Amino acid sequence: MIERSFQTLPGTLEAVARLRDSVEKRADAAGLSRKAIYNLCLAVDEIATNVVLHGYQEAGRTGPLRVATGLDDEGFTVILEDEGAPFDATRHALPSAEDLARPLEERTVGGLGILLALRGVDALQYESAPGVNRHIFVVKRPPPDA
Amino acid sequence: MAFKVSSAVTGDVVSLTLAGELDATSAPTFKTEIDKAVGQTPHSLVVQVKDLTFMASAGLRVLIYAKQKLGSRVALYVVAPQETILSTLRMTGFDKSVYIVDQWPPMETDARRPA
Repeated sequence: MIERSFQTLPGTLEAVARLRDSVEKRADAAGLSRKAIYNLCLAVDEIATNVVLHGYQEAGRTGPLRVATGLDDEGFTVILEDEGAPFDATRHALPSAEDLARPLEERTVGGLGILLALRGVDALQYESAPGVNRHIFVVKRPPPDA
Repeated sequence: MAFKVSSAVTGDVVSLTLAGELDATSAPTFKTEIDKAVGQTPHSLVVQVKDLTFMASAGLRVLIYAKQKLGSRVALYVVAPQETILSTLRMTGFDKSVYIVDQWPPMETDARRPA
């Protein structure tokens, strides 16, 4: 079950490291592997950074980052809420396989963060309601004897 | 852990040693060091990352910036990445443009061109 008690942090880049630490501790307590925890923290970092830069700073807004976590039969879930301009990471253009095969000298820089976020978890969902945006990260429980 | 970067110049090789967490907050510090390194027109740029525990896309963007500033004739080495960071470099195709080696100077067998 998701704990409904949200931890609230300021929607600033400086707070994103604290957000990672918080998710890391909770995921560790839930028994996730080191690799799964790292990839989850990377996913949360990338989305939170985008929320701060695009949802808040670019939009001339300020507001919180709220985080809650939960563990159930399906797996470990992180809910990240913000009150910025809606930013749906799940609909962002991703670099193609062709882009990723290009030498760095010829690269454009877009979409790498979203790629890392999507690859870092088993599912990333987005919901937007008036006044609140929600990214939901799910790391599935590994099958028994995996 | 807070991000730290130190630099050293040996002949025409500039070495940067990174430690801690490289994210959107710390990436500008790394970028400043890249600018200084580019100013020294090195033959190779070596980025030691053994003690780097986290790298977000902001760090990848600085590596792209470095490669674009240095040009394709200057070799960029990433030395001793932790498994998680190595996985990020591979997933994003950076292993095709930078030399990823276990140690510096690299072993003969290590010093292959990127695939």
